[in-house]
Amino acid sequence: MEALSSRRPPVAHEGVAAATQAHAAFDLKGVMTSTTVMRLKSRDLGLVERQLRNRVTQFPQFFENAPMVIDFAALQGKSEGIALASLSRMLRGRGVVPVGVTNLAEEFHEEAISAGLGIIKPTGPSALRASQIDEVEPKRDVGPTPSLPANDGPTIPNSAMPVATVAEQVRPVFSHRPPMVVRQPVRSGQQIYARQTDLIVLAPVNPGAQVIADGHVHIYAPLRGRAIAGAAGYPEARIFCQKLEAELICIAGAYMLADDMPPDRIGKAVQVFIEHGECHIVPL
Amino acid sequence: MVLSKILHTSIDPFLCETRVREKHKGGHKVSKVIVVTSGKGGVGKTTTSANLATGLAMRGHKTVAIDFDVGLRNLDLVLGCERRVVYDFVNVIKGEAKLQQALIRDKRIENLYVLAASQTRDKDALDEEGVGRVLQELKDMGFEYIICDSPAGIEKGAQMAMYFADEAIVVANPEVSSVRDSDRVLGLLAAKTSRATKNEGPIKSHLLLTRYNPLRVKKGEMLSVEDILELLGIPLLGVIPESKLILLSSNKGTPAILDEESDVAQAYLDVVYRFLGEEREQRFIHEERRGIFARLFG
Repeated sequence: MEALSSRRPPVAHEGVAAATQAHAAFDLKGVMTSTTVMRLKSRDLGLVERQLRNRVTQFPQFFENAPMVIDFAALQGKSEGIALASLSRMLRGRGVVPVGVTNLAEEFHEEAISAGLGIIKPTGPSALRASQIDEVEPKRDVGPTPSLPANDGPTIPNSAMPVATVAEQVRPVFSHRPPMVVRQPVRSGQQIYARQTDLIVLAPVNPGAQVIADGHVHIYAPLRGRAIAGAAGYPEARIFCQKLEAELICIAGAYMLADDMPPDRIGKAVQVFIEHGECHIVPL
Repeated sequence: MVLSKILHTSIDPFLCETRVREKHKGGHKVSKVIVVTSGKGGVGKTTTSANLATGLAMRGHKTVAIDFDVGLRNLDLVLGCERRVVYDFVNVIKGEAKLQQALIRDKRIENLYVLAASQTRDKDALDEEGVGRVLQELKDMGFEYIICDSPAGIEKGAQMAMYFADEAIVVANPEVSSVRDSDRVLGLLAAKTSRATKNEGPIKSHLLLTRYNPLRVKKGEMLSVEDILELLGIPLLGVIPESKLILLSSNKGTPAILDEESDVAQAYLDVVYRFLGEEREQRFIHEERRGIFARLFG
């Protein structure tokens, strides 16, 4: 019989022991965050770059250092004719951080990996479904409670915010960032974007100004410009203001122009939210 | 009367600040760069630059007015020295002439000088380094007030005019487009100037309402002072009433402030006093009460 003389722990135990010690070098967690998905529809990188440049010029803060996933579903999962390394370089050149690809056929995975792009498996049957960014007339009912287009096809013209994807299973999770607080009037031509958090404005938002948040937008003063809440795709976001004189209000891609706002709410303190696919403007 | 009290309180902290600062300097005169800007064209920037510069010089301060509207020069016309322009601002920036050669001394007022814009070149001739150098040279020459008459718009000429400013006079007419453009300009003053980018303390902005007509405000055709102050949120430096005399003055090349009797002259004089830290009631916001004879006979 062998006596167990010296109890030396095998190497594998050492690794586990290190991870569970108080001063572990890192933790691993599975977190879902809101990321923009670019659903590629063309193999012409020059065209993609030109159009992206226009969008970035319109909404610089939205795109600056934004992580982006490239979806090849519209190209049948084949990236033929597109050099993934060039695509990645082009996107970085525009200030975007390409982090991965999705809906890409397995034969192209190696190329993606060498281009530094992660492979993201589509989650669930409906996967990541991009909202259209087209110039389409919004559908609206004429009635006492004006409604914004329903959840299955929110469309916005290019003049409003570009909307990131929203799939039923993938809900944006907000990091624990405190809300952004703005104390000065937001002047015509200025654009404020509270990324992954709420926005609180303590001074008027003037005509021609834009205030945008991934969360809620609170304006403790008159709103005379544009307010966009739930910008990354969060339909539960709300807009609050002390005096509604807005040019445009938008929640998660569904918008309403000044002309369509009920006259009895104009000039009043209101909150705006979407419930059961309908837009409600309710006095505070 | 309540209205004037409200306006007084909005200006007061600034007036007190100016007085205290001047006292502490103890005799050494500080140079201030003031930009007269608006965004919208034709609201009265050049008229205001001319009258303000004249008024400050009349009060004994060495003042220079610089026309930043390269290619569309107007300040020299309004001040009546268009026939004495030999060298201009761009010549000095490019080193083609000395500042002393380009500065035009006003014939009527001892302390007033003008630096005209180039008529043949365009705004690309202006650059930050060159403008900064000329302004520093003017400060070294002992100018207390350097008035930069900005062109309309928000392009290079306007940006250069506001870049080195310590204070800004935002000129607006009481109508929506002018007020919105001024709002835009206020945003630029807070972001795209030397003081903003180098964190040297904000530019002190003042609002000057020009071409104000109390009757039209009453009828609802023009925005009122309160509406405009609510939108722009900066202290009111003054209200200049609409007057036919402005056109006549610029035709003659004599700034309206020199004709001390007229209401425009009085309004601009009030502006100068307020700018220098003295309190003056806002006189031109309400209609005059005219006696029966005045109303009958015009």
